[in-house]
This record gives sequence, C-alpha cells and structure tokens, in this order.
Amino acid sequence: MSAAILEINDLRLSFKGHAGQTDVLHGISLKIAPEERVGLVGESGSGKSVTARAVLGLIQSLGSARISGDIMFDGENLASIPPSRRDGLLGTRISMIFQDPTSSLNPVFQIGAQFHEVLKRVEPGISFKETRSRVNSILSKVSIPEPERVLKSFPFQLSGGMNQRVMIAMALVNLPSLLIADEPGSALDVTVQDQTLRLMRKLVDERRTSVLFISHNLGVVREFTERIYVIYRGRIVEEGLTEAIFREPRHPYTRALMAAVPRITRSGIPEVEDDPELFQAPREVHEVGGVS
Amino acid sequence: MQDIVLSVQNLSKVFDLGRGKVRAVNGFSADIERGECMAVVGESGSGKSTIANMILGIHEPSSGKIVLDGEPLPKRRALRHRRMVQLVQQNPLSSLNPKRSVGASIRLALDVHQIGERSSRQRQIGLFLEEVGLPGHYAGRTPEALSGGERQRVAIARALACESRLVVLDEPTSALDVIVQARILRLLNDLRSARGLTYIFITHDLAVVRNIADRVAVLKDGQLLELARTGTIFSNPGHSYTRSLIAASPVVTPDEVTLRDKLKLGEN
Repeated sequence: MSAAILEINDLRLSFKGHAGQTDVLHGISLKIAPEERVGLVGESGSGKSVTARAVLGLIQSLGSARISGDIMFDGENLASIPPSRRDGLLGTRISMIFQDPTSSLNPVFQIGAQFHEVLKRVEPGISFKETRSRVNSILSKVSIPEPERVLKSFPFQLSGGMNQRVMIAMALVNLPSLLIADEPGSALDVTVQDQTLRLMRKLVDERRTSVLFISHNLGVVREFTERIYVIYRGRIVEEGLTEAIFREPRHPYTRALMAAVPRITRSGIPEVEDDPELFQAPREVHEVGGVS
Repeated sequence: MQDIVLSVQNLSKVFDLGRGKVRAVNGFSADIERGECMAVVGESGSGKSTIANMILGIHEPSSGKIVLDGEPLPKRRALRHRRMVQLVQQNPLSSLNPKRSVGASIRLALDVHQIGERSSRQRQIGLFLEEVGLPGHYAGRTPEALSGGERQRVAIARALACESRLVVLDEPTSALDVIVQARILRLLNDLRSARGLTYIFITHDLAVVRNIADRVAVLKDGQLLELARTGTIFSNPGHSYTRSLIAASPVVTPDEVTLRDKLKLGEN
C-alpha cells in the first residue's frame, strides 16, 4: 500500500571529513499520509534537520555526503530523479518553513516581490496585480490586518511574528502537498509562537496539506501533530500516535526526554534517567490503524 | 527579619537612539533575599536583560539605586564591586574565550581578583571543575572540545571562582537540550544550597521558572507587572498578561493542560 505522500525508507547518511567518516543517519524510515501532520522530535545532533534537508535535496549536492535509501514523494523517488526535476517540486508541491523567519526572507526585496517570485514558480506569467489579490487573501487568513502595507514592506520593517506569518503564507500559497516545518517559531516569544502555530494549523487543515513538523520542543509537537517519530542519534527510537506516546512513552530515551521537560504544575527539578546505554534499546512502535 | 542581599530601588534605563529615546526599564524595584532564586520573566524587549546588565554594572542606570549588602553601588564599579556579582550567560560558546583553555579562563578570574595563592592555581581550578561535575583534567581543553552542557558547567565554575554570593543567570539553559537543561538546573540548585548562593534568574521560559524559582517578577515593556511567590503566580496570577504568558507555554501532561485551560478561561 503506498497511499503515503512521503515515504522515507532506510535513509542512511554519513559525511566524510578529515577525521574520517561520521555516520549521521542509521536507516531512518518514516511515512506521512495525505493530510497528516507528523512530528519528528529529537535533540540537537539527532539528525532531524538533516533528514528534512535530504528530502529537499540539499544534502545530496554536498561533496562530502554519502547518502543511500529511498525518499518517495507522491510516487517519485526524490533520491534518484534528476536534480532539475526535484528542484521543480520545491516551492510548488513541497515547501519549507525554517526556524528564523527574518533570515529566510530576502532583506532587500519587498514582501510583495518575494510572493510574486513564489507564485511565478507555478504560473510563470502571473502578473503583479494578480499576485496582489491572491496574496491579500492568504495574508488575511494568517491574521495580517493590513496586507497592502505588508506587501510594500521589507522584512526588517516587520516584527518577528509578522515575518513568521508571512513565511507561513508564502509556504502555503501554492497549495503544496507537503509542508516541511523545521522548528517553526522557535525563535519567537511564546505568546507569538502559540499564535502563529494556531494559524498555521488552521491553514494546513483548510488546505489539506501534509506536514512534517520538526522540533525539539515536546509541548509544541504535542499541540501540532497527530503522529510522531522520536529520533535519537540518527535512529528512530519510537513511533506512534502523539496521544499514545505522550500517554505512555515506552523507549527509555523517550521517557527520559519527557521526564526532563519542566512542568508548569510542579516545583523541583525533574529527575532524569541518564544512562546512554539504555537509550540504545530497540525501536518501540505503537501500533496505529491507517498508515502502516 | 528579612535578610536582603540586593535591593533595587526605582531603577530606570533610557536608551538614547538619536532618532528617539527608548525607555527600556521603567521604575523597577525589588528586594532579593539571601539564598533565594528570583526569576525575572518577560518576552523579548521586556527589559529583563537590561535589568540584569544594570545590576552587573554593564549598563549605568538612568536613575534609581542598587544596594548590595547594605552598600549603595556607585555608577562606576570598583574591582571589588565587580567581584560581588557574577554572571552566567545563555551561550557559553560566546561567553568563553575560544582560544583559551578552560583552566585559563577560570585562572583569569582568580588572577584578576587575586583569590588564593598563585602557586596553588592548578589545584584550585581542579576543585572548581569538580564542583560543577567535570573531571579536573578538563582544565587543559578548549571550549570547542566540550559539549554544550559541559561548556555551561565551565561558565558556572568561572562564576563560582570569584566567590561572590550573588549570581545573575541570564537564560542559562535556553540554548541546551531538555535533558541537559534538567542536569544544569539540578547543578545550579545544588550549588545554591551548598554555597548559600542567591540567584537572579532571567528567562522567558515559565516552566523552568516554576521548577527553580522562589519568587517571580513579571515584566512587560520595561514595567514590573507583578512580583509574587512562584506558587501564587501560577495558581492565581494577578495580571492578565501573566495569565496569557502561562497559557501560551507549551505543555506535555494532562494536568498542565487543565491548568492552562483554567487560566485561558480566566482571560475572557
């Protein structure tokens, strides 16, 4: 059964450096069904961002990278199609939101011009006038009160939260089938992060976009996703419905991770099991109906 | 009777940007008791770091007074004043000199403040490292060769080296993974009781505050909105902004969701 919009099979990645070979991913497999919001959760260095970058084809072009495995997107293997074909999918059928909105927008172009460029990827002949009307409607959906003013602004004239909403709108304006969000909002204040994630959630639901949501923040992942994969040192250690994993984390690493999260309901520092040996335990899978 | 280590009275800071003035902190007052951990919480631009910088003597207050152990601190701090308050910053990679070994970084603090005998430096440095849970032979390493958590331990060891009783912690765990964060918070807590330290804990993370602080000061746009015991702030916040800050915190357990939903209801 291959109803998945994205299916990664046994993705292995290593980098060759002057100190020898570093293995980064030891066989990552994951699936995202249409309209599903899936989380990839892990700490820094776990390989979560690099997995996303491999889907986008950003790793393959590095001379030092050794990569193997399949990355099936809607029936095509992104790992073996010609780079030009893959690039054609980016910004049209697959789009990406990065952590820091201000650095992912171009500082020397107005927001309107940047939207125009994005829309041109699907309709090369689209006029600026048409751009404006389409962008106005999507900007109002992310609660931007004066879209006209925002279109004429440069990124540095807008707040971080405003830029993040622009990024969300820009990533979704071409109705992609898959959105990859890498730590969206982690650079923002909590109240702003909370707000923008709600808007993003509403918009992807409405547009039936599948999402690969990458984060280190368990609370945010719990809020946003339906299913999660926990990644530790380049291996998936636990997978299942978000609700099931939070109710009953099984893998020692997932348990330690959950235990370490500070709670707003109790005082005292969390007690954390910390034996890296235990974290090497085999993968735990919470059986899920539907995709599998 | 209260034992006040630091008394901050009506502290204000105005930055003159040329094209206009920004009032970063507006009349902040607080008395910090010996041995307590007081959190200063707010979002970016709230003035929390400016307050920390004024206490440390990095920024000169525009008005107001800072009294440390009964002695009003002058605008220009003498060496002995600087030794009295220490700082641990968010990112140890930028607060530690990358070219200097860990031992040399700690040694510098000891040399500047002429603490202990020069001949026994090696032993002193080893003891400070052990106190923060690092092996003594780490003294020879550069920050680059350490993990994020280990680097933050070094920054803490350097703050301890000055034997000051008051430490300003400016987002000390924000750049760390949660498991490492839990370990560093535990270390900070242990050191506080072992050495009788007083902490001013600057952060945006309310969950961390709930876990470590005795009292919380909530700031917004340079104004102190409320200052209360941690339990009170979370069970019965006095200000709607505090409520919305707690309600926006990402949570992981059902009882946290219950608390958050309760606070959200109160917002309307």
